[in-house]
Amino acid sequence: MENQGILVYLESTDGQILKVSLEAMNAARKLAQLSGKKVGAVLIGDASAAAAAASYGADEVLTVAAHGYQPDRYTDILTALCERYDVSCLLLGSTRDGKELAARVAARTGSGCISDAMSMTESGAWVRSVYGGSLQETVSAKGKAVVTVRSGTFGKPELDEGRTAPVTAETVDATPLRSVIKDAVQELSESVNLEDAEIIVAGGRGMGSAENFQLVHELATLLGGVVGASRPAIEDGWVLRNHQVGQSGKIVAPKLYIACGISGAMQHVSGMSGSGFIVAINKDEDAPIFEVADVGIVGNVTEILPLLIEEVKARKN
Amino acid sequence: MAFLINPEDQDLLDSVREFCEKEIKEQCKEYDVSGEWPAEIYAKAAELGYNGLEVPEEYGGLGLERITVAAIMEEFARADAGFVTTITASNLALKAVLIGGSEEQKQRCCDLLMEGNHGAFGLTEPMAGSDAGNSKTTAVRDGDEYILNGRKCFITNGGVASFYVITAMTDKSQGIKGMSVFVVEAGTPGLSTGNHENKMGIRTSNTCDVVMEDCRVPASAMMGNEGDGYKIAMKTLDMSRTWVGCGAVGIAQRAIDEAVAYGKQRVTFGKPILKNQALQFKIADMEIRVETARQMVAHALKLMDAGLPYSRESAIAKCYAGDVAVQNALESIQILGGYGYSREYPVEKLLRDAKIFQIYEGTNEIQRMVIGKSVIGKF
Amino acid sequence: MELLVCIKQVPDDTVNVTMGADGAPKLDDIAPVVNAFDTYALEMAARFKEANGGSVTVLTIGGEGAVPALRSCLSVGADRACRVEEASVCDPQGTAYLLSQASKKAGEQPFDVIFCGSESTDAASGQVGAQLAETLGLPVITNVLALEPKDGGISAKQETEDGYRVVEAACPCVVTIVKPDYEPRYPSIKSKMAARKMPVAVLTAADAQADASKFGPEAAKVQRAAISAPPQRQSGVKIQEKEAAEAVRRAMEIMVGQKLI
Repeated sequence: MENQGILVYLESTDGQILKVSLEAMNAARKLAQLSGKKVGAVLIGDASAAAAAASYGADEVLTVAAHGYQPDRYTDILTALCERYDVSCLLLGSTRDGKELAARVAARTGSGCISDAMSMTESGAWVRSVYGGSLQETVSAKGKAVVTVRSGTFGKPELDEGRTAPVTAETVDATPLRSVIKDAVQELSESVNLEDAEIIVAGGRGMGSAENFQLVHELATLLGGVVGASRPAIEDGWVLRNHQVGQSGKIVAPKLYIACGISGAMQHVSGMSGSGFIVAINKDEDAPIFEVADVGIVGNVTEILPLLIEEVKARKN
Repeated sequence: MAFLINPEDQDLLDSVREFCEKEIKEQCKEYDVSGEWPAEIYAKAAELGYNGLEVPEEYGGLGLERITVAAIMEEFARADAGFVTTITASNLALKAVLIGGSEEQKQRCCDLLMEGNHGAFGLTEPMAGSDAGNSKTTAVRDGDEYILNGRKCFITNGGVASFYVITAMTDKSQGIKGMSVFVVEAGTPGLSTGNHENKMGIRTSNTCDVVMEDCRVPASAMMGNEGDGYKIAMKTLDMSRTWVGCGAVGIAQRAIDEAVAYGKQRVTFGKPILKNQALQFKIADMEIRVETARQMVAHALKLMDAGLPYSRESAIAKCYAGDVAVQNALESIQILGGYGYSREYPVEKLLRDAKIFQIYEGTNEIQRMVIGKSVIGKF
Repeated sequence: MELLVCIKQVPDDTVNVTMGADGAPKLDDIAPVVNAFDTYALEMAARFKEANGGSVTVLTIGGEGAVPALRSCLSVGADRACRVEEASVCDPQGTAYLLSQASKKAGEQPFDVIFCGSESTDAASGQVGAQLAETLGLPVITNVLALEPKDGGISAKQETEDGYRVVEAACPCVVTIVKPDYEPRYPSIKSKMAARKMPVAVLTAADAQADASKFGPEAAKVQRAAISAPPQRQSGVKIQEKEAAEAVRRAMEIMVGQKLI
């Protein structure tokens, strides 16, 4: 890998690169176009996605051996590579792990760390949300940078099957682990792809109960869409947390977003205001969600939704 | 406007307000419908020390100023009048003990409240409400004990209290001069409670009959001497009335809060309804009423603090604030129009809650008798 | 164990922040509160102390204006409070550095576990906890949902994308806290009044032996070029009908007309 280049850490599970890592790759490609630098990609542990990394735009692929995810080990590896190649910008997907690694590598390498970038300006600065999404700041690193990229913001890069890149196996000496992952438990088996959904039907506190929340599921299924939720609905246990849309969940931009019983706190709205068309149902005519809705229905959601479901069914037949 | 409290106590008020907003206001809507006593909310409140606000420092209390407690009570009432009724009723029982009880009784009841328990004050009977002298409950001395028999009704906290202050006739022939008062702890054999009343408002408070059937209490359970009961009960009510007025102020304030919030966003004929002077005047009148009621409460408390007579002012505070609560609730409903009449909106509850403030702890007619007599004097 | 909780005062996150005429966010009218994630961290630390013994110290960076935040922490489980008298800290790494220095002076004994909220609700970088650990050379466990002592160290339940992990570390260590399945406690009247009388220790950067060139403006590794309100969406039609069926019919008409359904 060339010195002072761009490096992307690609997180993968079962040989599949995470979508948010591909978005980081897309951001890296954009930065490469701007700076004329090359993009290296690094795979740690499982190297089977090396070819895919090239197809998605890596100019070179680095692989490093590791036995399972351990943040200390991964921090060591990324730090070593950044130092070895004097990397100018390390990009990662904004997963929980990605954000931890970014902060730690930045501290070790003395880089400026930028979290949850949502877009890049023409001058290569990064735009991110602050104050719960009510404002956006444009920031840049003074020297070297470590940037995490929010899922649902940059999109996947184009896939070029014919594209190849040299693969280099790197070695990084192991040091003793100071914190150790002993066990991992998967609780959410169903994967929820909110980012790619064309239609999202989302429910909030106004749904009132887990039983009523089933109406959201019913309408989503009927429309071939995905179920979303605001934070209160998740905290009340009506729906699993991987359905969350907003600052602490996913940023989404479907063609149609139907917000049911969601008041429209900025933390939620900033995650869905990029939707093509927004329909909001809320009994409070003053709810802020109506300020971003293309169609707002003032009414009791438990009364409106069954009727809407019937209407959709009638039209389908 | 608000009660003018010591700036240092503002943090208490802020934390109480946060609790009311997050744990009482919305939750009580549901209990208002079901009529169930929200034990969980009261347990949380008890943990935060809300049951012991009026316990004096010398009995283990926190030594809060009366005006600070009033500001806190107003917050409770703004969130839910049933809630403040429960707290006020415990304090009513406490006041009776502090006025007429022995050191031991005082310490015991203060401890019970500080531990998060409730108290109840049992004066009213089916045939003796305003006319307390017509009491049928009796206490008959038997050696070192008294045997209580009778039925009290409309007793707030009747079904949930740990201690009861009960009036009973030790000598019926003497009328009110034959009335005595006892502290009876929950669980005393012979003491039982009847059904929870299905009330128009303050539905988050517990109200029921308290029945004594050969209920034996030690002679030491009596406060003061035989025949002191009426005097102690009246002194207690004199003082407690101000606090009832304080609860009414909270309802009246909530009526303004709701009317203003609604009136700012409700648009008719192309503008928010509060742009109409007719409605601005309504709001102004509501504010005039609530602020004068609040200051009357504050004035009565100030007299108590100063050790000056306060019976008349306490009666004025209760009577006026009770009337104001009803008037403001009515106006708030009017401002919300059809929505005000709907149970989807919070203001119809305010009217149902407010009405009792013209009735309990001495009807407003009784208050006017007290006030009138105090002005006119004997002639 | 001796526990330290690093807290930050932020503008009340239930209020939308708007831009002022001077090109800076308008924050004057928004009440400062303790960052929500820090309140979770404090609650977890308080419960940890109640279960396992020890004490909880809260630490923040700020002037006199930070005292109410510290006092509110003292009323909900903290035993001691300390603030670093320093107004201008450049960025998360500067903060992490200053906190790392102050953490060595803030307690009577060295801390076994340092708690941080996983992120702040204002800047939302989510970096300080991990960087504090790096600066101190300590192990870190991020996104912690629950914590218990184990073999002289700690065992933590770490939130992941699809579940959780069990992670162990030796003490001293740093943990960053996400929302557990409980809420922070409310202060009681008694604890609130007691907190008024408790001392708040003050450290200057010099007391903490912190080098201004590592946390002051010149140390900034990230600079802000601009801040602005995000593009606003225009609202469309609002349907208010007496009959729900009529409202649904009208909404459907529009959605079908737009070929959305």
